[in-house]
Amino acid sequence: MYMTLSRKKWREGTLLIPILLFLCVFFLIPLAGLLLRSLTEPSFGLQNFEQLLATSTYVQVLSNTFLVATLVTVISLVLGFPLAWCITLMPNGWGRWLLGVILLSMWTSLLARTYSWLVLLQTSGVINKTLMAIGIIDEPITMVHNLTGVIIGMSYIMIPFVVLPLQACMSAIDPMVLQAASICGAPARTVFFRIFLPLCKPGLFSGALMVFVMSLGYYVTPALLGGVENMMLPEFIVQQIQTFLNWGLASASAALLIILTIVMFYFYLKVQTDSPVSTNTGA
Amino acid sequence: MSLQTNNGTSSHSPLVCLQSLNKEYGNFTAVDHINLNIQKGEFLTFLGSSGSGKSTTLSMIAGFETPTSGEILLNEHSLIQIPSHKRGIGMVFQHYSLFPHMNVRDNIGFPLDIRKIPKAERDKKVDDILKLVQLETFADRRPSMLSGGQKQRVAIARALVYEPDILLMDEPLGALDKKLREDLQDELRLLHKRLGITIIYVTHDQDEAMRLSERIAIFKEGKIVGLGTGKDLYRKPPNAFVASFLGSSNFLKVKVSGPNSATFEGQTIQLDSEHDVPFNQQALLMIRPENLQVLSEDQATQSPIQTDENEAFGTVNESVFLGESLTCSITTADGSLVTSKSIATDLPEIEPGAKVRLRWKVQHSSVYSKWERSDIEKDAS
Repeated sequence: MYMTLSRKKWREGTLLIPILLFLCVFFLIPLAGLLLRSLTEPSFGLQNFEQLLATSTYVQVLSNTFLVATLVTVISLVLGFPLAWCITLMPNGWGRWLLGVILLSMWTSLLARTYSWLVLLQTSGVINKTLMAIGIIDEPITMVHNLTGVIIGMSYIMIPFVVLPLQACMSAIDPMVLQAASICGAPARTVFFRIFLPLCKPGLFSGALMVFVMSLGYYVTPALLGGVENMMLPEFIVQQIQTFLNWGLASASAALLIILTIVMFYFYLKVQTDSPVSTNTGA
Repeated sequence: MSLQTNNGTSSHSPLVCLQSLNKEYGNFTAVDHINLNIQKGEFLTFLGSSGSGKSTTLSMIAGFETPTSGEILLNEHSLIQIPSHKRGIGMVFQHYSLFPHMNVRDNIGFPLDIRKIPKAERDKKVDDILKLVQLETFADRRPSMLSGGQKQRVAIARALVYEPDILLMDEPLGALDKKLREDLQDELRLLHKRLGITIIYVTHDQDEAMRLSERIAIFKEGKIVGLGTGKDLYRKPPNAFVASFLGSSNFLKVKVSGPNSATFEGQTIQLDSEHDVPFNQQALLMIRPENLQVLSEDQATQSPIQTDENEAFGTVNESVFLGESLTCSITTADGSLVTSKSIATDLPEIEPGAKVRLRWKVQHSSVYSKWERSDIEKDAS
């Protein structure tokens, strides 16, 4: 019985061949070619990686990238959690409407949104002018062309990627489970930390992973809102290729990003072994 | 009302007391000024169809809903201002509502952890209750790896482990199949006997209510329309709604002619003791199908009518043999439709079209002066 089932599954698996071929030809082979350059250009060896990890300016780029990705992830989670909760609790219809607004922001051109932040955040921008008008600050704060600008702009772009999985996760939580905890004697705080938050864990994890990995490799927003002295890894890669034609170092950076992402994903799968969401109704 | 007894010791005063409890959602009255006393150790069932206010009442006792007005007393202390987590009430939900991210042991231990019970005592209590609900071998499983019946036993254990004053159960067996439901009903009844705990049970299933409870409160449109033991409510329903809701019943339109007599289709019949129907007014006579004896003309002449019996004439429409019983659908002389049900051990065949006599004992009939069409036509619909 089991054998026939697995054989049947295997036979259906052959249907995957076209897409696997496609991926192989147009994704895996070029990727492997690119990554090979990190080992072969200008000569065979690990010198590109050595250079990347030994030069202090390059290490600075790496640590910038990690700092920004971490902060963006934390900020997106902190802002996205209440937002997702809000959407979940909204009475009929309104939640979907709110979710629509969030999706709409995702569908708007990335460039347009990033430039809007430039308009808002720059020295003569709306925010600085308003703050000065009400007398909170005396001179404009520099919020753009530095890491502050990058973090603000990227957090804004990443929030939907936290909200969507988190909201799906939260709406699968049976509210009666929370009532059950309450009647068992748990005050609201305990219900939140012992029941609600653990049940949101899969959503939090997948949202955080997605945002962190995306932030590591994000280019447009850091390029527009960031400064020259606070470069992030994707900008660095572009610079190496376009300005210095240093394919070896650029490929090594790209390889590093991919390896880090795979390591992160490995740990994610380790931590997130079971998904309580699927059994949330207790049924 | 019950609080007016000033010499009453705590054993006499009710454990839970609902006073003029009212819940409105906008214009809709879900619970309409209910008064109810629940004694310590009692198994009381709220029985009613959906939307009758039984679950809302339970939610108000649990603290999930705030009453629009009225009072809930537990041990003579008001519960209205107390949040549900401080009420010390146990509750079992229809869909179990176990914590999916904890194993069975931690689910049951959760209320004890909240109360900061020392670890050793906590583990002992959890083990004891696991034994009580016969789930020792499942202690380390997640709820998703349990069957419905096992889940509900975990839910019961979780609600009992901190020894609450009352256990509320909101259709706890509604999601289980029939066989399992009956097994758990028996278990629950035994558990109640063993622990002597007060249980308020909500169900829409009248068999379940009869099987489990000591007292039944029948809800209709936010009001309690019948309160008493299952036996009393079945044998002497206080109104036509209870009569038709609980079991099946025949309703005959009669005209009251005296303190214990009435006319039915031109014949004088006797009524049971006192009733509140004014003379010469239409009333509704209720007889349970199993209290209606069907006799052929021959049989009727052989066994004369007793002094405490009434008799009516009718024609058989149909008789259906159901194994243990035989049901007969009969049209009376003036066209009322009645059903009889008799134990089919050695009953003669009753042919459709046969003229028969219907007999019933006076004490087996109830008479009502007021009723609504919907009350008596429930069976037909």
